[in-house]
Amino acid sequence: MTIFLKAGGQLRAKLNPDVDYYTRKVEIDGGKTIAEILDAISLNPAFVALIHVDGKLKDLSYTPSDGQTIILQPPVSGG
Amino acid sequence: MKAERFAGSDGLAGTTLRINLTTGEIKSSPTDTKLMREWYGGRGVVAKILYDEVPRDADPFGPENLFIVSAGVMSGCFIPAGAKVGFGSISPLTNGHGDSNMGGHLGPALKFAGYDLVIMSGIAPKPTYLFIDDDTVELRDAAQYWGMGSLECEPVMKKDLGEDFEIATIGPSGENGIRFSCITHDFGRQAGWTGQGAVMGSKKLKAIAVRGTGSIKVHDLAKLTEHVSAIIKRTKTHPNMDPWQKYGTAFFIEWSNSNAVIPTRNFQTTHFESIDGISGEALVEKCLITHKACFGCWMNCGKYTKAVLPGKETVYLEGPEYETGSLCGSNLGMTDINQVAYLNWLLDNVGMDTMSGGGVIAFGMECFQRGLITTDDLEGHTLNWGSVEDAEHFVDMIVHRRGIGQHFAGGTKRAAEYIGRGSEKFAMQVKGQEMSGYDGRYAPGMMLAYMTCDIGAHHNRAWTITVDMAEGRETIEGRAKVVIYLQHIRPLFDCWCICRLFWGELDIEPEEIVESLNDITGWNITAADAFKTSEKIWNLVRCQYLERNRADGRTFDYPPARAWEDKIPTGPGAGKGLTFEQVEGMLDDYYACRGWDPKGNPSREVLHDLGLDFAADNLEKIGLLGKPLPNGIPAVRGERYKPKAF
Repeated sequence: MTIFLKAGGQLRAKLNPDVDYYTRKVEIDGGKTIAEILDAISLNPAFVALIHVDGKLKDLSYTPSDGQTIILQPPVSGG
Repeated sequence: MKAERFAGSDGLAGTTLRINLTTGEIKSSPTDTKLMREWYGGRGVVAKILYDEVPRDADPFGPENLFIVSAGVMSGCFIPAGAKVGFGSISPLTNGHGDSNMGGHLGPALKFAGYDLVIMSGIAPKPTYLFIDDDTVELRDAAQYWGMGSLECEPVMKKDLGEDFEIATIGPSGENGIRFSCITHDFGRQAGWTGQGAVMGSKKLKAIAVRGTGSIKVHDLAKLTEHVSAIIKRTKTHPNMDPWQKYGTAFFIEWSNSNAVIPTRNFQTTHFESIDGISGEALVEKCLITHKACFGCWMNCGKYTKAVLPGKETVYLEGPEYETGSLCGSNLGMTDINQVAYLNWLLDNVGMDTMSGGGVIAFGMECFQRGLITTDDLEGHTLNWGSVEDAEHFVDMIVHRRGIGQHFAGGTKRAAEYIGRGSEKFAMQVKGQEMSGYDGRYAPGMMLAYMTCDIGAHHNRAWTITVDMAEGRETIEGRAKVVIYLQHIRPLFDCWCICRLFWGELDIEPEEIVESLNDITGWNITAADAFKTSEKIWNLVRCQYLERNRADGRTFDYPPARAWEDKIPTGPGAGKGLTFEQVEGMLDDYYACRGWDPKGNPSREVLHDLGLDFAADNLEKIGLLGKPLPNGIPAVRGERYKPKAF
């Protein structure tokens, strides 16, 4: 299935976007959690402060469905 | 009186006000465009004026200290988050250069009224407020407002003067000379660092009220419109905008906890077992009323909230954001977001910085935990972790300087000097300024950032935790270069008086901001020019600090001994910590990269290169000029050391 990961700020470069400035397309087997998806693209989840899907907070155990967009929020660089 | 106002252009309003509070004399003059160009307005101009005009032995609370309000060159212009206003004076916390800034609407209002800078000296003979209504500038009697809380005073003044006045006030904390007092504006925006509210109080200046109806001329409006429109289009669709608007900086609390940096019970550990109760999610679920933005900003990161606690009147506030959430939350052992929000309101209203205030209360709580202060010192009260009642009583003792509160009124450093008995080890400050909401024991770059920050242990100048994570949390290698890079870029936003979150969080590059700056000012500078000017300001502030405090710079740059004596005891960082050798090694690297000698004193070669020969001469006269550099000036500037994580 296809998942779209979006990130800005300090996370953007780590994500290696390939669709547009912020977005990376990931083809992966269904049933994977966000933790497993990040592991598959070698993105350390410690750099992710918040996960947003369809306007709602999710955690690393969330299993996205085909075509969903996952927003990965980096930590604020000093609050 | 009617103040003569001078024509402005290229981002400047045109007029500088000088006000002698002792005599009541108000003078206006054309803003010095050369000074603004060379020192970038805002923090830079404040640094130069303080260096040139305040005697080195002047008491921060005395008439010779200046209190400067600066609206910078970009504030009030058509630029994202161009809303900042800066305040500056010799800090009563650090006895060095002090500056702080805040968002809201005051900076733009000041420029719309026609003023770039307001420079105040002396001490008013009675409680006074500064009234500015375009060309009407007056010092007015503030007797009816003196004693009011900051959050109470602002709506009363708006009712008296008009809703369209922008108001900045101090509370009883500033009136009573509590050294970590803040300035409050717009019902919850604060200039908190370095005790600027205490300096206002020492000058008997209760408030500043401004209404401006003019506009700002920019150098090239067509180009500015083109560039800013592109920034608006991009940031409005930024993936992080929606979460930012929903949670503000408070979303960061849980991340900070799971990554072993959140200060807990006065920095004793970096993991708080009740983090869910004070998280950003808890804030939105339990306290949020609506979102709020500063002038010209669509990020809406401010949160209007309410705090509901049993037995207490419901209170309304802005916040808590991350820093207050950590320093008045986990750092005090508070387990419920309503407790944190209530303390946020309490400190805002008395006019005490929530960051230093949280640090001072936490230090008191640890002293109580260890038996260094007892109920006998606290008018029969306890001072236990997690108790809002205890914290509220302790704050009241400090604000009104009762009993041991008198000794905490000077901040953590002075309180530790009074209490002694080893308490200095856990007085979590550098140079007298309390630490921000991050423990640096497992983030060495962050610790170095605190140690070397020009205003004391504040994160504003450099925040390195993701760099520490990316480059190794147990090594100090390369951290000095990262800290210096950040110490040069982040303060630029405080010079130009715009919010840095668009850079840090929404991917607006420094080059784009400089492009807009040139559109506004016509300065035609490059990002490299900006970095060098920022380095010049940094060095001047260092010289000011050495000249005022008369010892080698290195002696002021150490954190409290907890930084290397205590390993983190619990949580994901358990067992981690710095060694004293690492602390020394980071200082050695930092000074070498800056072109300062091993004693932490700037060298003539570097000061000359930055155009600061006058400062080198002054340091030489007092024996604090750094030794010559055997290998010449190190190449420390600009993007050479830009870390991968940025």
